Amino acid sequence: MTRDDRSNDGSSNDGSSSDDPPRETVSIPNEVELPRLLDFYDLQDAEHTGIHEFYGNLRDGELTTTRCDDCGAVHFPPRIVCPECLSDDLSYTSLPHEGTLHSFTEVRGTAAIGMTDDTPFVAGVVDLGDVRLSARIDDASYEDLEIGDPVRLKIVDIDGPTDQDRVFYRFVPV
Amino acid sequence: MSGNAAIVGGGLTEWGEREATWKDLAQEAGKATFDDVDGIDRSDVEGLFVGAVQPERFAFQSHVAPLVAELLGIDAEMISRTELACASGQAALRYAWLAIAAGQIDVALVIGVEKMNLGKEYMPEMQSTMTNVLDREFDGVNGLNGPSHFAQFAQRHMHEHGTTREQLAMVSAKNKTHAAATDFAQYRDAVDVDDVLESYPIAPPLNLLDCSGITDGAAGVLLVSEEKAREVTDTPAYITGSGQSCLSSNSINNLPSMTTWPQAREASEKAYDQAGIEDPLAEIDVAEVHDCFSISEVIEYEQLGFAAEGEGGAFIEEGRSELDGDVAVNPRGGLLGCGHPLGATGVCQALEIHRQFTGDVPAERAVAGDPETGLIHNLSGSGSVHSVMTLGRDPQ
Repeated sequence: MTRDDRSNDGSSNDGSSSDDPPRETVSIPNEVELPRLLDFYDLQDAEHTGIHEFYGNLRDGELTTTRCDDCGAVHFPPRIVCPECLSDDLSYTSLPHEGTLHSFTEVRGTAAIGMTDDTPFVAGVVDLGDVRLSARIDDASYEDLEIGDPVRLKIVDIDGPTDQDRVFYRFVPV
Repeated sequence: MSGNAAIVGGGLTEWGEREATWKDLAQEAGKATFDDVDGIDRSDVEGLFVGAVQPERFAFQSHVAPLVAELLGIDAEMISRTELACASGQAALRYAWLAIAAGQIDVALVIGVEKMNLGKEYMPEMQSTMTNVLDREFDGVNGLNGPSHFAQFAQRHMHEHGTTREQLAMVSAKNKTHAAATDFAQYRDAVDVDDVLESYPIAPPLNLLDCSGITDGAAGVLLVSEEKAREVTDTPAYITGSGQSCLSSNSINNLPSMTTWPQAREASEKAYDQAGIEDPLAEIDVAEVHDCFSISEVIEYEQLGFAAEGEGGAFIEEGRSELDGDVAVNPRGGLLGCGHPLGATGVCQALEIHRQFTGDVPAERAVAGDPETGLIHNLSGSGSVHSVMTLGRDPQ
């Protein structure tokens, strides 16, 4: 006899039902509301991130990053402290909106939460001179592309689970 | 370093898609470890080091080192978990080594555990967990994860050095064929080059069989002082050198290159220097390297000093990394064959070197001759950090 049998039919338990522990069903929520976190995009305003100016510039149509006013180092991703000299005296500087494809692949079967509906899509590394960043390459498939191809900036507005007007950068073939 | 430390034995769970919890896996590996070593009891263990990458997300559990202590009945005076993405197991072993070398403890249990499979319907959750090992805000967000990140190393290596698709497939075929003789491996079907080439191009130029698995598993070793090692075994595996390098890099922009890993070169040179190894290809008999993807092993031949830069593809094609080659690489089957339960991998690699020294491996995958010098290598995350350890039959 399994435990389930016994608990479902105490009368068959040789008169020992008075020793059965009390039993009831307790409920947990069918859906658990979690903090907004798992859509990969940060909250981009001054209340939430020290690099809000990067996102603000991008929202205004310009790709920028930080440059150290003391040692001149250009960073990417943008920072609030220079990793070269630890100065916190940083300014935003423009990055070129055109670059070349340094490497690329196509995401097919292994996408993360929130990206599965987008597959297949191209992910690449774009060389902008001073910096080399990863980016999605829209309007292209793997077979269309070669290393060295010119690409240019595209800005996407993120329609998601917050009230914020969030943005991000992608690239497209020239 | 004031004191030597040696692996005197260890044990494993079966690796794969296990019907088991994180705690089940930790208990299985712990029991197997103590069952393997005569002369060391749990009451002898002074240090407990647990390699685990994301139990918070895979198993909704943190503070896992005391959990392991409780499960195995260990009263450790030095206890911690290490997290260094895919190198967490080697990091645990390294800290245990440092503690013994510093004379603080004599006996350490090193356990690596990862429970990764949540069911196929939750694959996007699994991929998210791997994605945030990268810089989530600027790289993960672009769809980079394991396959799509390492595919871009492959794309670039093929472009710059003429490495061929077939050469990548040879790495997978070699390691998966080794794993066919490994009783705990996730993948025990021997495959050939054509099987790899014909598998699904999951992140081109990488195919499915160029990728390691999503694996549940655990491994443990006992690492002890030289004095203790001499008491309990005639065949210890001494840690003779250990190096790491990160070069202040993590995100794509700050990686030094998309074709080379100078961090692996620096880490290995530090380890070789400590171990007195001058010619790694001539002196290292068996190497357990981090073949999370086929391209990884090709680049590692170059950066660990086995092949010249750009010639990793020729190195596999010429058979120089086979069991009877210049250096036997990944005799247990590597990550490609055994799977990759993140925190457990480095611990398992070290145990494999010990087993190759003792001869406790099936003949089909025993390294030719009597191997005397071994190496383990792990990379972490984007390839930003590399960790290398050398092992030998004699103390340094």
